[in-house]
Amino acid sequence: MNNEMMSIIFASDNETKLNELTIHRTTASLPFCGRYRFIDFTLSNLVNSNITTIGIVTRNNYSSLMDHIRMGRDWDLNRKNSGIAVFPPYASNTSRTMFKGKIEALYGILDYIEKATEEYVVLTNSNIATNLDFEDVYEKHIQKGADITMLTYSSHPTSSRRVLVDTDKDGRVTDARITSTISDDIAEVGINIYLIKKDLLIRLITDSYERGYSDFEKHIIQYNVDKLGIYTYHVEGYAAIIDDVKSYYTESMRILDTDIRNDLFYRCGKIFTKVKDSVPTKYGIGASVRNSLIADGCEINGRVENSILFRGVVVEEGAYISNSIVMENGRIMKYSELRYTITDKDVTVTEDKTISGSENYPVVIVKNKIV
Amino acid sequence: MYSNKKECVAMLLAGGQGTRLYSLTAHVAKPAVSFGGKYRIIDFPLSNCINSGIDTIGVLTQYQPFALNQYIGNGQPWDLDRLNGGVYVLPPYMKSAKSDWYKGTANAIYQNIDFIDKFSPDYVLVLSGDHIYKMDYSEMLDYHKSKGADCTIAVINVSLDEASRFGIMNTNADGSVYEFEEKPKQPKSTNASMGIYIFTWQVLRKYLIEDEADPDSHNDFGKDVIPAMLRDGQKLFAYRFDGYWKDVGTIKSLWEANMDLIDRNSGLNIEDSSWKIYARNAAEPPHFVGDHADVENSLVTEGCEIDGTVRNSVISSRVEICRGALVEDSNIMPGAVVKEGAQIHYAIIGDDAVIEEGAVIGEAQDGVPVEDVKITVVGPGAVVKKGTVVPVAAMVD
Repeated sequence: MNNEMMSIIFASDNETKLNELTIHRTTASLPFCGRYRFIDFTLSNLVNSNITTIGIVTRNNYSSLMDHIRMGRDWDLNRKNSGIAVFPPYASNTSRTMFKGKIEALYGILDYIEKATEEYVVLTNSNIATNLDFEDVYEKHIQKGADITMLTYSSHPTSSRRVLVDTDKDGRVTDARITSTISDDIAEVGINIYLIKKDLLIRLITDSYERGYSDFEKHIIQYNVDKLGIYTYHVEGYAAIIDDVKSYYTESMRILDTDIRNDLFYRCGKIFTKVKDSVPTKYGIGASVRNSLIADGCEINGRVENSILFRGVVVEEGAYISNSIVMENGRIMKYSELRYTITDKDVTVTEDKTISGSENYPVVIVKNKIV
Repeated sequence: MYSNKKECVAMLLAGGQGTRLYSLTAHVAKPAVSFGGKYRIIDFPLSNCINSGIDTIGVLTQYQPFALNQYIGNGQPWDLDRLNGGVYVLPPYMKSAKSDWYKGTANAIYQNIDFIDKFSPDYVLVLSGDHIYKMDYSEMLDYHKSKGADCTIAVINVSLDEASRFGIMNTNADGSVYEFEEKPKQPKSTNASMGIYIFTWQVLRKYLIEDEADPDSHNDFGKDVIPAMLRDGQKLFAYRFDGYWKDVGTIKSLWEANMDLIDRNSGLNIEDSSWKIYARNAAEPPHFVGDHADVENSLVTEGCEIDGTVRNSVISSRVEICRGALVEDSNIMPGAVVKEGAQIHYAIIGDDAVIEEGAVIGEAQDGVPVEDVKITVVGPGAVVKKGTVVPVAAMVD
């Protein structure tokens, strides 16, 4: 099977709650797991599933994303036919104002979708880290004769907007609730990835747009539960959805679990990212590292525990990093301590400083700061 | 006006068998041998070329070329996927009258005269695929041009003891070479040839054709072409290189060069972002260091899982070192697994080898001078069974 599916990725969503971490970037380009950006997981899953016609819809702050993706070569997407198309806001004449939601965003690029030769479309947000085989999603979609397949996982509802679904024994959605209410009860929750036949998508988007609808989850999923065959595809392995600093921190720390890490990085295929040709990480005499994920290009002379170091991080002697995330080119100088802290790219913590957050409320140091 | 012309084309000799690397080259050509955690030996000359502004490279292969061909691919990791130029893998091929394997270094270039002519270069840079060094070839080319040389040979200063193991260039005060001695018993100087040559192409072209016509020639640069040019009074100059350079054609020198990456004072610094060493990336996640790990004075790279003790070692991508295992003064190549309680001292462990529980490879040689250290080798894909003791300096296939 080849070229049955194309994909549209929404690069910007839910950024408000990520606060400092998305001041300068889209959610899609948020760094994750030491050397990746969120969109790497989506792009790799698509490529590993032979989906190579990929449109990326951006809203704002997309220069970091463009810099990351370039021509798509690192994902083998620099193709003569198909490949990546990036749509900045106001990409077409129909979009005279900034689009308000996915429906308007899709309406603005209907030409692109129509012209593609693929018959099916994968719609996906970009704040998801998981390892998926879309060919399997497609097979189930066909088997069930679904109109829309929505990917779901079992999770606790959080304070972020989620679609909770009930299904019948065949997996057909019988009820869809959209909620932001925290609950301890495990529910089947949508992860904002959909598979839909192109003709149907175009019809739904045009119809919704003409009626002034803008909310994909409400006006396309929820309103059509009875009219369309909407089926769930349950994602069995690790799936992380990041929509606030706390979920970013918690999901990052879960990656320190070897089973979860193997599931995310190897379950259905490899995860690709922009290659930076960093050197291997150098451990000095006196380095002490436990239970941590360490990217290349680091230089470690201090103590690191339960933490994630991105590429090019320097930990000087006597420094102590625990339960923290230090992004690219961070420099933690002598005798400084980080606890429950996230430092964004290019942060320097000078000598003898102590920065301490808590597990429920990690401190975030914004990009380029010197503490 | 658009033209295919390139000022300088590099020809990289990658056809040697590398027999002195034993099992490490049983299935791959020497330039494809892993080095420094995430590199192959050939990444050094290829990166030097692109960093020096040379974007047209012929890689001459004939021995176990498959892994090397696959590794080089379209040259993209080194930015060598070009519309005009780029990297070309050049195996020997059938020609009309007489066809042959590459008989020697000079013959390998001779057989590719047509390839070089396509780019109408003024100069040809001849490189070896088994050296670890960082060198700006553009500076050497400037030297070649300023001297009006026909051939410039890069030389490095070695100790008088070592000199008898190298080709030695005896030079006049202006750097011109008056004599070349291959492995002299009593060396007159310590300018050792690094096997890096720049030739003015039209001059070399003539000598290659003459050399080929001589039935007694070994078709080798050091043995035949250079001496012939000297005899004829061509202008040969020695270009002195002062940086780090190591021929990694032996187990010991390969091990030493890996150790030099850890030692800040060795002169081998690959961290300089203005002279990056590029490599094909394995697309692996960052490495993970577990709760029982103790890693000091070592290099570790992507895809590793470390839960044992690692000291003074280079750990390559995808290597797994389990709890209670000990790795000291060693180079572990990609994908190798060191299981619980295994011990490795002063060793090179080949790609994807498995060292089972409690096995002991080599022995500690604390206090032994580096010259006398003996390296134990476990070949690529070998499995050392549970509890086996592999004695020092042994080679396990």
